[in-house]
Amino acid sequence: MSRKNLIGLLPIAAVLLIPLLTQNPYLLHMFILSLMWIVLGQSWNLLGGYTGQISYGHAAFFGVGAYTAGIMVKSGLSASTAWWGLLLGGLMAALVAAVIGWICFRLRGSYFSLSVLALSEVLRIVAVNWNRLTNGAEGILLIPAFNTKTYYYYIAFGLAAVNLGVIRWVMHTKPGYYFLAIREDQDCAESLGIDTTKFKLLSLLISAFFTGAAGAFYMNYMGFIDPGIVFSLPDISIMVILVTMLGGAATKWGPAVGAVIFILVSEIFRVWVGSGHLLFFGVLIIAIIIYFPNGIVGTLADRRARRRRARGAEAVA
Amino acid sequence: MSPQVAGQLELLGQVLISGVLLGGLYALIGLGMSLIMGVMKIINLAHGELMMVAMYITFWAFTLAKIDPYASLLIVFPLMFLLGVGVQKFLLSPVMEADTVLPQGQVLLTVGLGLVLSNLALLLFTANYRSVPVSYASKTIYWDLKLGGQTISLSFSYPFLIAFCIAGVLGASLFIFLAKTDTGRMIRATAQDKRAAALMGINTKRITYITFGIGAALVGAAGALLDPVYYLYPQIGGQFTSKAFVITILGGLGDIPGAVLGGLVLGLAESLGSVYISLGYKDAFGFIIFVLVLIFMPRGLLGRGRA
Amino acid sequence: MTKPRPMQLVTLALLVGGMSASLLLAQGKTFKVGVPLPLTGAEAKFGEMEKQAYEMAVNEINAKGGVKGTNLVLDIQDSGGKPETATAIVEKFITIDKDPIVVGEYSSQCSYAVAGVAEKYKVPYLVVTGAADKITQQGWKYVYRLNPPSTLYNQGLYGLWGTVGKPKSIALLYENTDFGTSTSRAMKEYCEANGIKVVLDEGYQAGGVDFKPILQKVKSLRPDVIYMVSYLMDASLLMRQSKELDINPQAFIGGAAGFTLPEFLQNAADASEDALSGTLWTPQVKYPGAKAFFDNFKAKYSKDPDYHGAEAYAAAYVLADTLKRAKTWTPEDLRAALAATNMMTAFGPVKFISWGKFTNQNRMETLVLQVQNKKFETVYPPDAASAKAIYPVPHWRDRK
Repeated sequence: MSRKNLIGLLPIAAVLLIPLLTQNPYLLHMFILSLMWIVLGQSWNLLGGYTGQISYGHAAFFGVGAYTAGIMVKSGLSASTAWWGLLLGGLMAALVAAVIGWICFRLRGSYFSLSVLALSEVLRIVAVNWNRLTNGAEGILLIPAFNTKTYYYYIAFGLAAVNLGVIRWVMHTKPGYYFLAIREDQDCAESLGIDTTKFKLLSLLISAFFTGAAGAFYMNYMGFIDPGIVFSLPDISIMVILVTMLGGAATKWGPAVGAVIFILVSEIFRVWVGSGHLLFFGVLIIAIIIYFPNGIVGTLADRRARRRRARGAEAVA
Repeated sequence: MSPQVAGQLELLGQVLISGVLLGGLYALIGLGMSLIMGVMKIINLAHGELMMVAMYITFWAFTLAKIDPYASLLIVFPLMFLLGVGVQKFLLSPVMEADTVLPQGQVLLTVGLGLVLSNLALLLFTANYRSVPVSYASKTIYWDLKLGGQTISLSFSYPFLIAFCIAGVLGASLFIFLAKTDTGRMIRATAQDKRAAALMGINTKRITYITFGIGAALVGAAGALLDPVYYLYPQIGGQFTSKAFVITILGGLGDIPGAVLGGLVLGLAESLGSVYISLGYKDAFGFIIFVLVLIFMPRGLLGRGRA
Repeated sequence: MTKPRPMQLVTLALLVGGMSASLLLAQGKTFKVGVPLPLTGAEAKFGEMEKQAYEMAVNEINAKGGVKGTNLVLDIQDSGGKPETATAIVEKFITIDKDPIVVGEYSSQCSYAVAGVAEKYKVPYLVVTGAADKITQQGWKYVYRLNPPSTLYNQGLYGLWGTVGKPKSIALLYENTDFGTSTSRAMKEYCEANGIKVVLDEGYQAGGVDFKPILQKVKSLRPDVIYMVSYLMDASLLMRQSKELDINPQAFIGGAAGFTLPEFLQNAADASEDALSGTLWTPQVKYPGAKAFFDNFKAKYSKDPDYHGAEAYAAAYVLADTLKRAKTWTPEDLRAALAATNMMTAFGPVKFISWGKFTNQNRMETLVLQVQNKKFETVYPPDAASAKAIYPVPHWRDRK
């Protein structure tokens, strides 16, 4: 392995070792949430950043995953076997995604985005009203299977690692390049013979699968869900876009950076600033968007590239 | 006619009235967004919060200076226009200029703006629910119809009627403004093709400022009209932003009559759906119609929007 | 490949800094109690009222010398009404600040989530406002609830019906939230068990602008009583629009919350007149300190407290009493002391007992209030009543 790759693995190793350094549940809770949001951000990024299909309704997949796990418990399976909910949650979410994709992919741009939003809201309203299946507004409660957070940490880490691996791998294969082509110019890609609908769907299915798995994880970890939490437009759908864009869409580490900022910084604001913390958070978002238009990672990468070019030009001149 | 049938007719009549009157108000909320989306393609997620700001302006005008909400439209309209221009000029335009991978930066900026506005209101005005208890808040006009030996009593809410009329006037004025005035034509040109408009010598940047200003002023007017019949607190904006999207798409981006029709369709869908299908799913009907229109009529109900 | 991100190191540093800062807060001869509340979000109004009530109570307690010479300190943190934030806050209280007891939260979902966390860490938790039955139906040992559960919210109403006569039919309209669905379900079960016909049972999304369609439907069904459960201001719109539609049942009855807010009177104005509601507390109850609490709160904060404020106020006193009696201030001893609580507060008697599926639940009479002459009057039970119930209520067109 090259030296560069080894250095790149250091933070991953550090993250892996965290539960060994601290058993503090509050800190671990923050890290676990960060890991979950890394999965959410990266998954959204696959569809949005790389394939150019901006979904405003990813809560649909998160919620379906969470409720799949929750319903499994409600219908009598014990909490520990509900871990199969991760796989099943992902699959159910992918199934729902196939339907949503079939309906919405004939639309472009803002129309696509808003149609996914609308369908996500419909799912939320169904979850509130279909009492027999979902317990409606009262939500589903289960007692978490594990007492220490360490297990959850490694499960979340595992999910994030698999998610990162799969996305990384896909983007280096032909479908990955097709995604980028679709993002850049869908009609052009179509005229080159790329079946854009099929590949948009593929991107969506992968994205939805991991989002659903994260939802199932949330159910198992937090122990309580209701429609307003897991199908939430502002707290999940919009936040996942925020997380990815703040970090930098279509970058490898962007969503991860965005997730860390979102979870850790907003918690720090809440603890230190007290009342008015959301105000600061809003200002922070505005500031980042104005000064880092491509997200933090994206803009830093841009600036570095520009500096390199400038230096290169100087060298020649 | 039997009393049961009369009761059902009364129900249907009342439901239709509700749907139309509410639809008028919804239309006004959606008009601003339709204009903004039509011209700048910006999804303004702070739309509801802008309305909230206007509602607080109206509230304070009433509470401190006894200014009637309908009169305070004269204050709200220009103030909100300036706010909109400011937002576009200092926040959104710089972001729109940047060369980004995805054009979503503007949308997220509006998210941040929404958070700032609602939490600023929370800090300044507290979370208490405010009311604008004008004397005519619950005034109702009754219309008793005599049909087949039975009396059907229909009620029209006075403030809702006024809001409906004012919304109509504003909608018509906007339509005329866009069709007949120079600025209006410049706006439509920019909406059609920004680059071509710039090549024609139109200062498209200034047009975007004006457009956002008008959009903010319109939703502000809707807020002022809503104050007497509703209530006010900092978090009120969110649900209205969602409704505005539905109306914008139903009507077709940038199509004013379409947005008005969209508002009416939404109002009627909610009224009829909540009574005849299910109250719990009321909000879903709007979204379902929204998706159906998107798929089968992408240029909006009137087929004239920008696809 | 981009270089390893310095962001992770920076944020780790910030976190450590934050930890130490909050640890420093918990020093000195004071007893800190952590209180999660929704200070932002849709329920901010109630969070604010409870925060003010807690602060008022703690100031009074400290002015009298605190508990065994130690001053109480409140650490009120904003959960925004979100269960995951509430659990994070409580995890922090328990694991970093090492608080031996937790008090607070407002909504049923958040109280429920916090209760689960407290039970897991074996730290006593005093539920103050969350009403959903299930919170104290889990057989948990560390969760104690001061306020009555939603099934009991309507007890006062049933008693009132005993004196004025039961209705023959009822329409149920409630918001689609944990509180709305569980409270109305309790009413539905009572009605079905007592021969009252339920002609309508519909949940609605809170925050609506126009309820007239559904209200007209209710009107066409002609129920004797219209029963509504609304957290917030839907109550006001429901009454206003009922007046506009000229709906005239025997009574409009609310299930507490939105129907007992001072803003309900302000916003609904004439339409609120004669509206009845089940409630947990009014300033007219004969419990010692109730009226004083109401007057002092109003004087200090320029607004009327409702039963939520009374709950918070009493919770602070229950906490002080528990601290006084506890052998030591460890979670186990505090739990034992809390379980043995038997005191009177401005909110009412507090004693944690078990019955049916409930454990560690305080059981109190609930009351009925009615808006008369633009004021809330207690109309049931008779020993707390400040006015006689107007039942059935006059037709809209016959009023004033």
